Amino acid sequence: LRDGALEGEHAPALTIKDSIPFGFHVFCHVLSQLSSFILAGKSQSGGLVVVSFSRSPSFYLELLKKGIDVVSIQILDCYSDPLGWKDRLKDVKHMDKLYNSIVERGKGLIGGGKNRFSVAIDSVDEMSRHASTSSVAGLLSNLRSHDQVSSIFWLLHSDLHEARVAAVLEYLSSMVTSLEPENLSLIEHNLKKGKFHVRIKRRNGRVRVMSEEVHIEQSGISFINQGLVPKVQFSLELSEKERIDRANVVLPFEHQGNGKPIQIYDGRRSLADGGGEIIYFRDSDDEMPDSDEDPDDDLDI
Amino acid sequence: MVMEDAEAPHHMLLLRNFMSQGLVHNQPLLYASPAIDPRGFLGTLPSPAASKDEKSHKHDPDQEKGLRIAWQYKKYFGESQLNFDGQRDGKHEYSNEFDLRKPLERHFLSAQRVDCVSIQDSPNLSALQDRSATFLSQYPRNDGSISCAGRIAIQSFSAPQCAYSNMEWDMLSFIRSLKSMVRSSNAVALITFPPSLLSPSFCKRWQHMADTLLSVKAIPDEDKELSQLLTGYQDMVGFLNVHKVARINTQVPVILDATTFSIKLQKRRFLVLECLNQAPVDGSSGTSYGTSGSCSGSSKTGNLDF
Repeated sequence: LRDGALEGEHAPALTIKDSIPFGFHVFCHVLSQLSSFILAGKSQSGGLVVVSFSRSPSFYLELLKKGIDVVSIQILDCYSDPLGWKDRLKDVKHMDKLYNSIVERGKGLIGGGKNRFSVAIDSVDEMSRHASTSSVAGLLSNLRSHDQVSSIFWLLHSDLHEARVAAVLEYLSSMVTSLEPENLSLIEHNLKKGKFHVRIKRRNGRVRVMSEEVHIEQSGISFINQGLVPKVQFSLELSEKERIDRANVVLPFEHQGNGKPIQIYDGRRSLADGGGEIIYFRDSDDEMPDSDEDPDDDLDI
Repeated sequence: MVMEDAEAPHHMLLLRNFMSQGLVHNQPLLYASPAIDPRGFLGTLPSPAASKDEKSHKHDPDQEKGLRIAWQYKKYFGESQLNFDGQRDGKHEYSNEFDLRKPLERHFLSAQRVDCVSIQDSPNLSALQDRSATFLSQYPRNDGSISCAGRIAIQSFSAPQCAYSNMEWDMLSFIRSLKSMVRSSNAVALITFPPSLLSPSFCKRWQHMADTLLSVKAIPDEDKELSQLLTGYQDMVGFLNVHKVARINTQVPVILDATTFSIKLQKRRFLVLECLNQAPVDGSSGTSYGTSGSCSGSSKTGNLDF
């Protein structure tokens, strides 16, 4: 979601699917993460429009309070008066009106040109109550194809709908996550652990499936392994000792020469003074070596 | 008709080849899609790959049965329509290979050759029906020689954002009417649709409507079992299944050597369909090399699978 869309491509879209009461925690987690990336300028998107149906706007203001920058985040209130009983102009039944409001707010946040904004919809269930599935699908797909939308995500309570609605929303997304409790009978009691599954439709046409364990608490969810790891036989994580050992490895061109100029013997008899020098700039100190660059990522079907 | 997989865009590869092939051989195209501006898709149509040898391609049916690494358009036509364009236009061989990295030249995409329709906002199918009828009326089937042919490509016909997408009987009616119009003209039509969004009974009805029925399937990434079972797994992007092949005016059935193919993009440029090969079984495990295992990733078994 953070990396957003490429030129001429539909914006990535995430469906957070749940059938247990903790899907909303996942939504809030994604929301806070994405907004912190936006505020730090680390994402393609320059602003976020939150379309709130199931919680009041003040809830989100509270949630995002740390570091909230009103300039970057707009909350479209579809909670207080969704059917326009008090205010005739507001009516969520009309998806094209909703679409226009979202786009207007988004453009207001980021201006014009090549800037992009993200959209978060806290509940497509509420949207589906008042509008037909095809108009909801139209809204979501039009947002995805809008060239100023960077990414979009929404929460769906799949047990509240016919199977077709969930199928439609999965069809429209490029990523689907679902949360599975460790033991179904524990739903009533304090649910502790669960599994978080992700299905990602990659650009090259393959589907990546990942899962991770999560801890579910009243305050929210936390991921046990930071960073989703695909299921492989090898251990890709480093233990603390391994991390320290690696940090202690002296790389060939980095050792400081202990104050003396570095001399690299290149096989010639004499080294002219000030002859050779190797200047080594490390790309980035916080980029992990062997980063997970997939050469197939630019294969775009 | 092509059954899409909601998790992969492989039907677009097939559409692109189909559309480019027609345009390159002077067959005007009617293209409909749920996008607001379908013309945008035309920019992704591939150009014919540079042919490696200059020999003229003989349309020997026996020779073509050996063609596995090519888009077998023959499945769409009856035998009678196969040779009509072969030797007339000396400039182009009947091209099966397209280079996905090279876009089709602009002059092929002029408005005379390509007509685009957006089906998202139509409340019903009458507009699309009229456009198709008008298009097909230009290619009536006479008893004489075939002077010109046309192609219709409809992408994601039952996509959920289309306003008519919950009118299942209407969509079925449209397909039936299109089929009858196509039968009486010099034209072929390709429709892709996502079966997961239709009710099961309608999905079956649609499948029966098709003369030729294909399905595409996504392939899971980094799946250790599949990589052990299939050779060349790393290069595959998906699977193609042939469920039905058009047999019109004949009672001779088609018996294909294989109905499941892997979809690969050779050098990321050329669409290649290959029969699935099972990787050699490790002798120490005890099973013999000859035993057949399930090497198809698809759960749909066609009528011709045995």
